[in-house]
Amino acid sequence: MSTTPDLATLERWMQAVVMHDGGVQAGLKSPRARALVAEAARDLERVVLPSRQLSAAERLGIYSHMYYARLIEVMEGEYPTTRRILGEDAFARLCRRFVAKNPSRSRTLNTLSLKFPDFLARTLPKTRRAGLAVDVARIERAMEDVFDAPRATPMTAAQFAAVGAGPSGRAVLRVTPALRLLALRYPANEYMNALRRGENPRIPAPRKTWVIVFRRGFQVYRRDQEPAQWKLLAALAAGKPLAAAVRGALRGVAGRAGRNAAERAAKRLGAWFEEWSAAQLFVVPEGRG
Amino acid sequence: MTANIATNRDPAPSGNRWGLPDLGLGVGLRTQHFRHITEKRPAMDWFEILSENFIDTEGRPLDYLDRIAEHYPIAMHGVSLSVGSTDPVDFAFLDKLKALAKRVNARWLGDHICWTGVAGLNGHDLYPVPYTEEGLEHMVERVRIIQDYLERPLVLENPSTYLEFAGASMPEEEFIARLAEDADCALLLDVNNVYVTCRNHDLDPVEYLGKIPADRVVQIHLAGHTDNGTHCIDTHDGRVIDAVWDLYARFTARAGPRATLLEWDANVPKFSVLQQEVAKAARFRGAQPRRRAAA
Repeated sequence: MSTTPDLATLERWMQAVVMHDGGVQAGLKSPRARALVAEAARDLERVVLPSRQLSAAERLGIYSHMYYARLIEVMEGEYPTTRRILGEDAFARLCRRFVAKNPSRSRTLNTLSLKFPDFLARTLPKTRRAGLAVDVARIERAMEDVFDAPRATPMTAAQFAAVGAGPSGRAVLRVTPALRLLALRYPANEYMNALRRGENPRIPAPRKTWVIVFRRGFQVYRRDQEPAQWKLLAALAAGKPLAAAVRGALRGVAGRAGRNAAERAAKRLGAWFEEWSAAQLFVVPEGRG
Repeated sequence: MTANIATNRDPAPSGNRWGLPDLGLGVGLRTQHFRHITEKRPAMDWFEILSENFIDTEGRPLDYLDRIAEHYPIAMHGVSLSVGSTDPVDFAFLDKLKALAKRVNARWLGDHICWTGVAGLNGHDLYPVPYTEEGLEHMVERVRIIQDYLERPLVLENPSTYLEFAGASMPEEEFIARLAEDADCALLLDVNNVYVTCRNHDLDPVEYLGKIPADRVVQIHLAGHTDNGTHCIDTHDGRVIDAVWDLYARFTARAGPRATLLEWDANVPKFSVLQQEVAKAARFRGAQPRRRAAA
Protein backbone atom coordinates (compact mmCIF):
# COMPACT_ATOMS: atom_id res chain seq x y z
CA MET A 1 0.00 0.00 0.00
CA SER A 2 1.31 3.45 -0.85
CA THR A 3 1.57 6.50 1.34
CA THR A 4 0.73 9.75 -0.36
CA PRO A 5 1.77 12.77 1.67
CA ASP A 6 0.50 16.09 0.42
CA LEU A 7 2.66 17.73 -2.23
CA ALA A 8 4.35 20.26 0.06
CA THR A 9 5.24 17.59 2.59
CA LEU A 10 6.51 15.20 -0.06
CA GLU A 11 8.80 17.85 -1.55
CA ARG A 12 10.17 18.85 1.85
CA TRP A 13 10.75 15.20 2.71
CA MET A 14 12.57 14.42 -0.54
CA GLN A 15 14.71 17.52 -0.19
CA ALA A 16 15.62 16.62 3.40
CA VAL A 17 16.70 13.15 2.26
CA VAL A 18 18.68 14.03 -0.89
CA MET A 19 20.41 17.05 0.66
CA HIS A 20 21.46 15.15 3.81
CA ASP A 21 25.25 15.08 3.90
CA GLY A 22 25.29 11.59 5.43
CA GLY A 23 23.68 10.04 2.34
CA VAL A 24 20.22 8.64 1.73
CA GLN A 25 20.06 6.13 4.58
CA ALA A 26 21.09 8.75 7.12
CA GLY A 27 18.73 11.21 5.46
CA LEU A 28 15.78 8.81 5.75
CA LYS A 29 16.48 8.33 9.45
CA SER A 30 17.04 12.04 10.12
CA PRO A 31 14.62 13.73 12.53
CA ARG A 32 13.65 16.19 9.80
CA ALA A 33 12.66 13.50 7.29
CA ARG A 34 10.94 11.36 9.92
CA ALA A 35 8.91 14.32 11.12
CA LEU A 36 7.68 14.87 7.58
CA VAL A 37 6.98 11.31 6.39
CA ALA A 38 7.49 8.89 9.26
CA GLU A 39 6.45 5.81 7.24
CA ALA A 40 9.32 6.29 4.78
CA ALA A 41 11.90 5.43 7.44
CA ARG A 42 10.12 2.15 8.16
CA ASP A 43 9.05 1.19 4.65
CA LEU A 44 10.42 3.45 1.93
CA GLU A 45 8.59 1.57 -0.81
CA ARG A 46 5.33 3.03 0.44
CA VAL A 47 6.62 6.39 -0.84
CA VAL A 48 9.13 5.59 -3.60
CA LEU A 49 8.84 2.58 -5.85
CA PRO A 50 11.80 0.32 -6.61
CA SER A 51 12.61 -0.50 -10.22
CA ARG A 52 13.48 -3.95 -11.52
CA GLN A 53 17.17 -3.11 -11.04
CA LEU A 54 17.31 -0.61 -8.18
CA SER A 55 15.83 -0.38 -4.71
CA ALA A 56 13.84 2.68 -3.73
CA ALA A 57 16.80 3.93 -1.65
CA GLU A 58 19.19 3.47 -4.58
CA ARG A 59 16.88 5.52 -6.78
CA LEU A 60 16.79 8.33 -4.23
CA GLY A 61 20.55 7.93 -3.96
CA ILE A 62 20.95 9.01 -7.59
CA TYR A 63 19.56 12.45 -6.68
CA SER A 64 21.58 12.61 -3.47
CA HIS A 65 24.79 11.80 -5.31
CA MET A 66 24.08 14.28 -8.10
CA TYR A 67 23.27 17.07 -5.64
CA TYR A 68 26.70 17.01 -4.03
CA ALA A 69 28.62 16.02 -7.17
CA ARG A 70 27.25 18.93 -9.16
CA LEU A 71 27.85 21.58 -6.51
CA ILE A 72 31.32 20.29 -5.66
CA GLU A 73 32.17 20.40 -9.37
CA VAL A 74 31.07 24.05 -9.48
CA MET A 75 33.32 24.88 -6.53
CA GLU A 76 36.26 22.99 -8.03
CA GLY A 77 35.95 25.30 -11.00
CA GLU A 78 35.88 28.37 -8.77
CA TYR A 79 38.76 27.45 -6.44
CA PRO A 80 41.43 25.65 -8.50
CA THR A 81 44.41 26.92 -6.47
CA THR A 82 42.74 26.43 -3.09
CA ARG A 83 42.03 22.87 -4.19
CA ARG A 84 45.62 22.36 -5.22
CA ILE A 85 46.87 23.55 -1.83
CA LEU A 86 44.45 21.44 0.19
CA GLY A 87 44.49 18.33 -2.02
CA GLU A 88 41.62 17.06 -4.16
CA ASP A 89 40.03 14.70 -1.62
CA ALA A 90 40.25 17.08 1.32
CA PHE A 91 38.87 19.89 -0.83
CA ALA A 92 35.90 17.75 -1.93
CA ARG A 93 35.14 16.80 1.69
CA LEU A 94 35.26 20.44 2.73
CA CYS A 95 32.96 21.46 -0.14
CA ARG A 96 30.50 18.78 0.87
CA ARG A 97 30.45 19.99 4.48
CA PHE A 98 30.14 23.57 3.29
CA VAL A 99 27.22 22.82 0.96
CA ALA A 100 25.47 20.82 3.69
CA LYS A 101 25.70 23.82 6.03
CA ASN A 102 25.14 26.47 3.37
CA PRO A 103 22.66 25.13 0.81
CA SER A 104 22.00 27.34 -2.18
CA ARG A 105 19.21 29.87 -1.85
CA SER A 106 19.76 31.39 -5.27
CA ARG A 107 18.34 30.65 -8.71
CA THR A 108 21.86 30.86 -10.09
CA LEU A 109 25.11 29.31 -8.93
CA ASN A 110 27.02 32.62 -8.85
CA THR A 111 26.77 33.06 -5.10
CA LEU A 112 26.83 29.42 -3.98
CA SER A 113 30.29 29.68 -2.43
CA LEU A 114 30.14 33.27 -1.21
CA LYS A 115 30.86 32.22 2.38
CA PHE A 116 33.37 29.48 1.55
CA PRO A 117 36.55 31.42 2.48
CA ASP A 118 35.08 32.27 5.89
CA PHE A 119 34.00 28.66 6.29
CA LEU A 120 37.56 27.53 5.59
CA ALA A 121 38.92 30.07 8.08
CA ARG A 122 36.63 28.66 10.78
CA THR A 123 37.05 25.02 9.88
CA LEU A 124 40.68 24.42 8.94
CA PRO A 125 43.42 23.87 11.54
CA LYS A 126 45.74 26.80 12.25
CA THR A 127 48.57 25.61 10.02
CA ARG A 128 50.61 27.52 7.50
CA ARG A 129 49.12 25.54 4.60
CA ALA A 130 45.59 26.17 5.82
CA GLY A 131 46.28 29.87 6.33
CA LEU A 132 47.53 30.20 2.78
CA ALA A 133 44.53 28.23 1.49
CA VAL A 134 42.13 30.61 3.21
CA ASP A 135 43.78 33.66 1.66
CA VAL A 136 43.97 32.08 -1.80
CA ALA A 137 40.27 31.21 -1.44
CA ARG A 138 39.55 34.86 -0.65
CA ILE A 139 41.30 35.90 -3.86
CA GLU A 140 39.55 33.23 -5.94
CA ARG A 141 36.16 34.21 -4.52
CA ALA A 142 36.89 37.87 -5.28
CA MET A 143 37.73 36.88 -8.86
CA GLU A 144 34.28 35.26 -9.17
CA ASP A 145 32.63 38.36 -7.72
CA VAL A 146 34.27 40.84 -10.06
CA PHE A 147 33.72 38.54 -13.05
CA ASP A 148 29.96 38.98 -12.56
CA ALA A 149 30.00 42.54 -11.20
CA PRO A 150 27.93 45.29 -12.83
CA ARG A 151 29.45 47.24 -15.69
CA ALA A 152 30.47 50.88 -15.35
CA THR A 153 31.94 53.46 -17.71
CA PRO A 154 35.62 54.22 -16.98
CA MET A 155 36.55 57.87 -16.56
CA THR A 156 38.39 59.41 -19.45
CA ALA A 157 41.71 61.17 -18.87
CA ALA A 158 39.94 64.51 -19.27
CA GLN A 159 37.28 63.59 -16.72
CA PHE A 160 39.98 62.43 -14.33
CA ALA A 161 41.96 65.63 -14.75
CA ALA A 162 38.83 67.69 -14.15
CA VAL A 163 38.39 66.04 -10.74
CA GLY A 164 41.92 66.98 -9.74
CA ALA A 165 41.40 70.54 -10.90
CA GLY A 166 38.18 70.90 -8.97
CA PRO A 167 37.56 73.88 -6.68
CA SER A 168 37.64 72.09 -3.34
CA GLY A 169 39.03 69.06 -1.67
CA ARG A 170 35.56 67.59 -1.55
CA ALA A 171 35.69 65.80 -4.90
CA VAL A 172 34.70 62.16 -4.65
CA LEU A 173 35.96 59.56 -7.07
CA ARG A 174 33.56 56.77 -7.89
CA VAL A 175 35.26 53.38 -7.82
CA THR A 176 34.19 50.56 -10.13
CA PRO A 177 31.82 47.97 -8.65
CA ALA A 178 34.16 45.38 -10.16
CA LEU A 179 36.84 45.92 -7.48
CA ARG A 180 37.54 43.95 -4.32
CA LEU A 181 40.15 44.95 -1.71
CA LEU A 182 41.68 42.15 0.33
CA ALA A 183 43.90 42.46 3.41
CA LEU A 184 45.56 39.06 3.74
CA ARG A 185 47.75 37.26 6.25
CA TYR A 186 49.84 35.44 3.63
CA PRO A 187 51.52 36.42 0.35
CA ALA A 188 48.75 34.56 -1.48
CA ASN A 189 48.85 36.59 -4.68
CA GLU A 190 52.62 36.07 -5.01
CA TYR A 191 52.05 32.34 -4.51
CA MET A 192 49.41 32.27 -7.25
CA ASN A 193 51.70 34.20 -9.58
CA ALA A 194 54.49 31.70 -8.98
CA LEU A 195 52.17 28.85 -9.86
CA ARG A 196 51.11 30.64 -12.99
CA ARG A 197 54.76 30.95 -14.01
CA GLY A 198 54.98 27.16 -13.75
CA GLU A 199 57.01 27.17 -10.56
CA ASN A 200 56.44 24.85 -7.62
CA PRO A 201 56.50 27.33 -4.74
CA ARG A 202 56.80 26.30 -1.10
CA ILE A 203 54.07 27.18 1.34
CA PRO A 204 55.21 30.65 2.43
CA ALA A 205 55.50 32.00 5.96
CA PRO A 206 52.76 34.37 7.09
CA ARG A 207 53.25 37.94 5.93
CA LYS A 208 50.59 40.63 5.65
CA THR A 209 49.79 41.49 2.04
CA TRP A 210 47.40 43.93 0.41
CA VAL A 211 45.69 42.78 -2.76
CA ILE A 212 43.16 44.22 -5.17
CA VAL A 213 41.09 42.13 -7.57
CA PHE A 214 39.35 43.96 -10.39
CA ARG A 215 37.85 43.63 -13.84
CA ARG A 216 39.07 45.83 -16.66
CA GLY A 217 36.77 45.43 -19.63
CA PHE A 218 35.88 41.76 -19.26
CA GLN A 219 39.28 40.57 -18.03
CA VAL A 220 39.85 39.86 -14.33
CA TYR A 221 43.15 40.92 -12.72
CA ARG A 222 44.75 40.69 -9.27
CA ARG A 223 47.54 42.92 -8.02
CA ASP A 224 49.59 43.38 -4.85
CA GLN A 225 49.53 46.91 -3.46
CA GLU A 226 51.64 48.84 -0.99
CA PRO A 227 49.82 49.08 2.36
CA ALA A 228 49.32 52.85 2.15
CA GLN A 229 48.27 52.56 -1.49
CA TRP A 230 45.69 49.91 -0.60
CA LYS A 231 44.36 51.96 2.32
CA LEU A 232 43.97 55.05 0.16
CA LEU A 233 42.05 53.07 -2.45
CA ALA A 234 39.90 51.51 0.27
CA ALA A 235 39.05 54.99 1.56
CA LEU A 236 38.11 56.14 -1.94
CA ALA A 237 36.02 53.01 -2.47
CA ALA A 238 34.22 53.78 0.79
CA GLY A 239 33.24 57.17 -0.67
CA LYS A 240 35.67 59.39 1.22
CA PRO A 241 36.46 62.72 -0.48
CA LEU A 242 39.73 62.64 -2.37
CA ALA A 243 41.63 65.14 -0.21
CA ALA A 244 40.53 63.56 3.05
CA ALA A 245 41.39 60.09 1.78
CA VAL A 246 44.90 61.18 0.75
CA ARG A 247 45.45 63.03 4.04
CA GLY A 248 44.27 60.01 6.01
CA ALA A 249 46.48 57.58 4.11
CA LEU A 250 49.61 59.73 4.53
CA ARG A 251 48.84 60.39 8.19
CA GLY A 252 48.56 56.64 8.67
CA VAL A 253 51.98 56.10 7.10
CA ALA A 254 53.48 58.84 9.27
CA GLY A 255 52.00 57.28 12.37
CA ARG A 256 53.32 53.83 11.58
CA ALA A 257 56.64 54.57 9.88
CA GLY A 258 57.45 58.20 10.50
CA ARG A 259 57.40 61.45 8.55
CA ASN A 260 60.08 60.44 6.08
CA ALA A 261 58.08 57.40 5.06
CA ALA A 262 55.02 59.58 4.63
CA GLU A 263 56.99 61.96 2.40
CA ARG A 264 58.18 59.04 0.29
CA ALA A 265 54.59 57.80 0.02
CA ALA A 266 53.43 61.27 -1.02
CA LYS A 267 55.91 61.16 -3.90
CA ARG A 268 54.36 57.92 -5.10
CA LEU A 269 50.79 59.23 -5.09
CA GLY A 270 50.97 60.17 -8.76
CA ALA A 271 52.18 56.70 -9.72
CA TRP A 272 49.41 55.05 -7.70
CA PHE A 273 46.71 57.10 -9.38
CA GLU A 274 48.28 56.41 -12.76
CA GLU A 275 48.20 52.68 -12.06
CA TRP A 276 44.57 52.79 -10.90
CA SER A 277 43.56 54.95 -13.80
CA ALA A 278 45.17 52.54 -16.27
CA ALA A 279 43.29 49.74 -14.52
CA GLN A 280 40.06 51.72 -15.08
CA LEU A 281 39.20 51.62 -11.39
CA PHE A 282 37.56 55.05 -11.48
CA VAL A 283 34.26 55.26 -13.26
CA VAL A 284 31.74 57.84 -14.31
CA PRO A 285 28.89 58.26 -11.84
CA GLU A 286 25.69 56.67 -13.12
CA GLY A 287 23.70 58.94 -15.36
CA ARG A 288 26.71 60.99 -16.40
CA GLY A 289 28.24 58.55 -18.89
CA MET B 1 34.01 20.65 -42.90
CA THR B 2 30.66 21.70 -44.31
CA ALA B 3 27.74 21.45 -41.96
CA ASN B 4 24.25 20.67 -43.17
CA ILE B 5 23.12 23.71 -41.33
CA ALA B 6 22.78 27.28 -42.37
CA THR B 7 22.21 30.44 -40.42
CA ASN B 8 18.46 30.76 -40.36
CA ARG B 9 17.20 34.16 -41.48
CA ASP B 10 13.66 33.17 -42.28
CA PRO B 11 12.36 30.50 -39.93
CA ALA B 12 9.64 28.29 -41.32
CA PRO B 13 6.25 28.13 -39.64
CA SER B 14 5.82 25.16 -37.39
CA GLY B 15 2.88 22.89 -36.73
CA ASN B 16 2.30 24.06 -33.20
CA ARG B 17 -0.77 25.94 -32.04
CA TRP B 18 1.06 29.16 -31.31
CA GLY B 19 2.64 29.40 -34.74
CA LEU B 20 6.06 29.57 -33.12
CA PRO B 21 8.63 29.08 -35.87
CA ASP B 22 10.55 25.97 -36.75
CA LEU B 23 13.99 27.45 -36.13
CA GLY B 24 15.73 24.52 -37.78
CA LEU B 25 18.71 22.74 -36.20
CA GLY B 26 20.53 24.29 -33.28
CA VAL B 27 22.87 23.55 -30.42
CA GLY B 28 23.15 24.65 -26.82
CA LEU B 29 25.40 27.70 -26.52
CA ARG B 30 28.40 26.84 -24.36
CA THR B 31 31.28 29.01 -23.14
CA GLN B 32 33.87 26.86 -24.93
CA HIS B 33 32.49 28.03 -28.26
CA PHE B 34 31.87 31.74 -27.56
CA ARG B 35 34.98 32.95 -29.32
CA HIS B 36 34.62 30.61 -32.29
CA ILE B 37 31.02 31.67 -32.85
CA THR B 38 31.65 35.40 -32.56
CA GLU B 39 34.78 35.34 -34.69
CA LYS B 40 33.90 32.76 -37.35
CA ARG B 41 30.12 33.00 -37.29
CA PRO B 42 29.76 29.32 -38.19
CA ALA B 43 26.73 27.82 -39.87
CA MET B 44 24.05 27.09 -37.28
CA ASP B 45 20.33 27.78 -37.45
CA TRP B 46 19.90 28.89 -33.85
CA PHE B 47 21.18 28.61 -30.29
CA GLU B 48 19.59 27.77 -27.00
CA ILE B 49 20.96 29.38 -23.85
CA LEU B 50 20.79 28.23 -20.27
CA SER B 51 18.97 31.27 -18.88
CA GLU B 52 20.55 31.22 -15.41
CA ASN B 53 24.06 31.51 -16.88
CA PHE B 54 23.25 35.04 -18.03
CA ILE B 55 21.31 36.29 -15.01
CA ASP B 56 22.88 38.22 -12.12
CA THR B 57 26.01 38.80 -14.17
CA GLU B 58 27.30 41.58 -16.37
CA GLY B 59 30.58 39.92 -17.26
CA ARG B 60 32.03 38.55 -20.45
CA PRO B 61 29.44 35.81 -21.14
CA LEU B 62 26.69 38.41 -21.44
CA ASP B 63 28.83 40.41 -23.84
CA TYR B 64 29.34 37.32 -26.01
CA LEU B 65 25.63 36.56 -25.87
CA ASP B 66 24.74 40.10 -26.99
CA ARG B 67 26.99 39.70 -30.01
CA ILE B 68 25.77 36.21 -30.84
CA ALA B 69 22.12 37.27 -30.54
CA GLU B 70 22.74 39.87 -33.24
CA HIS B 71 23.32 37.11 -35.77
CA TYR B 72 21.44 34.02 -34.58
CA PRO B 73 17.95 33.35 -33.16
CA ILE B 74 18.09 32.56 -29.45
CA ALA B 75 15.72 30.49 -27.31
CA MET B 76 15.91 30.54 -23.53
CA HIS B 77 15.82 27.37 -21.51
CA GLY B 78 16.15 27.39 -17.75
CA VAL B 79 16.72 25.04 -14.85
CA SER B 80 15.60 27.06 -11.82
CA LEU B 81 12.03 28.13 -12.47
CA SER B 82 10.91 25.30 -10.22
CA VAL B 83 7.41 25.23 -11.64
CA GLY B 84 6.41 22.25 -9.50
CA SER B 85 7.65 23.71 -6.21
CA THR B 86 5.23 24.50 -3.41
CA ASP B 87 7.21 27.65 -2.58
CA PRO B 88 5.70 30.97 -3.70
CA VAL B 89 6.35 32.01 -7.31
CA ASP B 90 9.54 34.09 -7.47
CA PHE B 91 8.41 37.15 -9.39
CA ALA B 92 11.78 38.86 -9.03
CA PHE B 93 13.31 35.94 -10.93
CA LEU B 94 10.57 36.19 -13.57
CA ASP B 95 11.47 39.87 -13.99
CA LYS B 96 15.06 38.86 -14.69
CA LEU B 97 13.96 36.23 -17.21
CA LYS B 98 11.74 38.78 -18.89
CA ALA B 99 14.54 41.31 -19.12
CA LEU B 100 16.94 38.76 -20.58
CA ALA B 101 14.32 37.58 -23.09
CA LYS B 102 13.87 41.16 -24.26
CA ARG B 103 17.60 41.75 -24.43
CA VAL B 104 18.30 38.77 -26.70
CA ASN B 105 14.93 38.77 -28.48
CA ALA B 106 14.31 35.24 -27.27
CA ARG B 107 12.04 33.31 -29.61
CA TRP B 108 10.64 31.48 -26.61
CA LEU B 109 11.37 30.77 -23.01
CA GLY B 110 11.09 27.55 -21.11
CA ASP B 111 12.13 25.27 -18.29
CA HIS B 112 11.31 21.79 -16.99
CA ILE B 113 8.34 19.91 -15.59
CA CYS B 114 9.92 19.54 -12.19
CA TRP B 115 10.74 21.30 -8.96
CA THR B 116 14.27 22.26 -7.94
CA GLY B 117 13.85 23.17 -4.30
CA VAL B 118 11.50 24.13 -1.53
CA ALA B 119 11.60 26.13 1.71
CA GLY B 120 13.76 28.72 -0.02
CA LEU B 121 16.49 26.28 -1.05
CA ASN B 122 17.65 25.33 -4.53
CA GLY B 123 19.11 21.88 -5.18
CA HIS B 124 20.07 22.90 -8.73
CA ASP B 125 18.65 19.61 -9.95
CA LEU B 126 15.43 18.59 -11.65
CA TYR B 127 13.36 16.75 -9.05
CA PRO B 128 10.37 14.71 -10.19
CA VAL B 129 6.84 15.87 -9.51
CA PRO B 130 4.45 13.25 -8.14
CA TYR B 131 2.06 12.43 -10.94
CA THR B 132 -1.09 12.90 -8.87
CA GLU B 133 -4.22 15.00 -9.30
CA GLU B 134 -2.92 17.31 -6.57
CA GLY B 135 0.45 17.65 -8.31
CA LEU B 136 -1.24 18.36 -11.62
CA GLU B 137 -3.61 20.96 -10.22
CA HIS B 138 -0.74 22.71 -8.47
CA MET B 139 1.42 22.83 -11.58
CA VAL B 140 -1.40 23.97 -13.84
CA GLU B 141 -2.07 26.92 -11.56
CA ARG B 142 1.62 27.81 -11.34
CA VAL B 143 2.15 27.61 -15.09
CA ARG B 144 -0.84 29.85 -15.69
CA ILE B 145 0.46 32.44 -13.22
CA ILE B 146 3.94 32.38 -14.73
CA GLN B 147 2.68 32.57 -18.30
CA ASP B 148 0.40 35.49 -17.44
CA TYR B 149 3.33 37.32 -15.89
CA LEU B 150 5.75 36.55 -18.70
CA GLU B 151 3.09 37.31 -21.30
CA ARG B 152 4.08 34.36 -23.44
CA PRO B 153 3.60 30.60 -23.39
CA LEU B 154 6.04 28.63 -21.31
CA VAL B 155 7.81 25.85 -23.17
CA LEU B 156 8.13 23.03 -20.65
CA GLU B 157 10.37 20.01 -21.00
CA ASN B 158 9.90 16.44 -19.80
CA PRO B 159 12.89 15.78 -17.53
CA SER B 160 14.83 12.56 -17.14
CA THR B 161 13.55 10.93 -13.97
CA TYR B 162 15.22 8.37 -11.76
CA LEU B 163 12.42 7.47 -9.36
CA GLU B 164 8.65 7.01 -9.28
CA PHE B 165 6.42 7.93 -6.36
CA ALA B 166 4.25 5.11 -5.05
CA GLY B 167 1.25 7.42 -4.82
CA ALA B 168 1.27 8.36 -8.53
CA SER B 169 -2.16 8.05 -10.09
CA MET B 170 -1.21 8.52 -13.73
CA PRO B 171 1.78 7.85 -16.00
CA GLU B 172 4.20 10.67 -16.76
CA GLU B 173 3.08 11.12 -20.36
CA GLU B 174 -0.54 11.52 -19.30
CA PHE B 175 0.50 14.07 -16.66
CA ILE B 176 2.40 16.04 -19.30
CA ALA B 177 -0.44 15.93 -21.82
CA ARG B 178 -2.98 17.07 -19.25
CA LEU B 179 -0.68 19.76 -17.91
CA ALA B 180 -0.17 21.15 -21.41
CA GLU B 181 -3.89 21.11 -22.10
CA ASP B 182 -5.12 22.49 -18.78
CA ALA B 183 -2.43 25.17 -18.43
CA ASP B 184 -2.37 25.86 -22.16
CA CYS B 185 1.42 25.72 -22.28
CA ALA B 186 3.85 24.57 -24.94
CA LEU B 187 6.10 21.54 -24.69
CA LEU B 188 9.74 20.90 -25.31
CA LEU B 189 9.98 17.20 -26.07
CA ASP B 190 13.35 15.86 -24.96
CA VAL B 191 13.55 12.59 -26.85
CA ASN B 192 16.66 11.49 -24.96
CA ASN B 193 14.84 12.10 -21.67
CA VAL B 194 11.95 9.95 -22.92
CA TYR B 195 14.45 7.16 -23.58
CA VAL B 196 16.23 7.58 -20.23
CA THR B 197 13.01 7.80 -18.21
CA CYS B 198 11.50 4.79 -19.95
CA ARG B 199 14.66 2.75 -19.40
CA ASN B 200 14.68 3.71 -15.73
CA HIS B 201 11.02 2.87 -15.21
CA ASP B 202 10.64 -0.11 -17.57
CA LEU B 203 8.27 1.77 -19.86
CA ASP B 204 7.76 1.65 -23.61
CA PRO B 205 9.13 4.88 -25.12
CA VAL B 206 7.12 4.50 -28.33
CA GLU B 207 3.92 4.28 -26.36
CA TYR B 208 5.06 7.30 -24.29
CA LEU B 209 5.71 9.37 -27.41
CA GLY B 210 2.33 8.45 -28.82
CA LYS B 211 0.62 10.19 -25.89
CA ILE B 212 2.45 13.50 -26.33
CA PRO B 213 0.18 16.08 -28.02
CA ALA B 214 2.16 16.99 -31.13
CA ASP B 215 0.47 20.34 -31.67
CA ARG B 216 1.86 21.58 -28.35
CA VAL B 217 5.44 20.61 -29.09
CA VAL B 218 7.45 23.67 -30.11
CA GLN B 219 10.92 22.25 -29.76
CA ILE B 220 12.77 18.94 -29.50
CA HIS B 221 15.93 18.16 -27.55
CA LEU B 222 18.48 15.53 -28.49
CA ALA B 223 21.43 14.49 -26.32
CA GLY B 224 23.67 11.67 -25.26
CA HIS B 225 23.39 9.89 -21.93
CA THR B 226 25.28 7.42 -19.75
CA ASP B 227 24.00 3.87 -19.52
CA ASN B 228 25.03 2.40 -16.17
CA GLY B 229 23.37 -0.92 -16.88
CA THR B 230 20.99 -0.71 -13.94
CA HIS B 231 19.84 2.76 -14.96
CA CYS B 232 20.59 5.61 -17.36
CA ILE B 233 21.70 9.12 -16.44
CA ASP B 234 21.06 12.15 -18.62
CA THR B 235 24.66 13.34 -18.81
CA HIS B 236 24.73 15.22 -22.15
CA ASP B 237 28.28 14.05 -22.64
CA GLY B 238 28.30 12.31 -25.98
CA ARG B 239 26.62 11.51 -29.24
CA VAL B 240 22.95 10.67 -29.62
CA ILE B 241 22.41 6.91 -29.65
CA ASP B 242 20.55 5.15 -32.47
CA ALA B 243 17.53 4.30 -30.30
CA VAL B 244 17.04 8.01 -29.58
CA TRP B 245 17.38 8.90 -33.26
CA ASP B 246 14.73 6.29 -33.94
CA LEU B 247 12.36 7.91 -31.43
CA TYR B 248 13.07 11.29 -32.98
CA ALA B 249 12.26 9.95 -36.43
CA ARG B 250 9.01 8.41 -35.17
CA PHE B 251 7.85 11.61 -33.51
CA THR B 252 8.69 13.90 -36.40
CA ALA B 253 7.05 11.48 -38.83
CA ARG B 254 3.84 12.00 -36.87
CA ALA B 255 4.24 15.65 -35.94
CA GLY B 256 6.30 17.08 -38.75
CA PRO B 257 9.55 18.97 -38.31
CA ARG B 258 10.16 20.95 -35.15
CA ALA B 259 12.94 23.25 -33.99
CA THR B 260 15.54 20.70 -32.91
CA LEU B 261 18.41 21.24 -30.55
CA LEU B 262 21.42 19.15 -29.58
CA GLU B 263 22.59 19.43 -25.96
CA TRP B 264 26.22 18.58 -25.20
CA ASP B 265 27.33 19.86 -21.80
CA ALA B 266 30.13 17.62 -20.54
CA ASN B 267 33.30 16.66 -22.41
CA VAL B 268 32.27 19.40 -24.81
CA PRO B 269 33.88 18.79 -28.22
CA LYS B 270 34.92 21.20 -30.95
CA PHE B 271 32.08 23.14 -32.52
CA SER B 272 32.45 21.23 -35.79
CA VAL B 273 31.58 17.99 -33.96
CA LEU B 274 28.35 19.55 -32.73
CA GLN B 275 27.58 20.72 -36.25
CA GLN B 276 28.08 17.20 -37.59
CA GLU B 277 26.01 15.60 -34.85
CA VAL B 278 23.01 17.91 -35.06
CA ALA B 279 23.09 17.80 -38.85
CA LYS B 280 22.13 14.12 -38.61
CA ALA B 281 18.69 15.29 -37.49
CA ALA B 282 18.03 16.61 -40.99
CA ARG B 283 17.82 13.01 -42.20
CA PHE B 284 15.00 12.26 -39.80
CA ARG B 285 12.90 15.35 -39.39
CA GLY B 286 10.94 15.20 -42.59
CA ALA B 287 12.16 18.43 -44.08
CA GLN B 288 15.08 19.19 -46.29
CA PRO B 289 17.83 21.02 -44.43
CA ARG B 290 18.14 24.63 -45.43
CA ARG B 291 21.49 25.49 -46.94
CA ARG B 292 21.60 29.20 -47.06
CA ALA B 293 25.01 30.70 -46.49
CA ALA B 294 25.84 32.35 -43.23
CA ALA B 295 25.59 36.14 -43.32
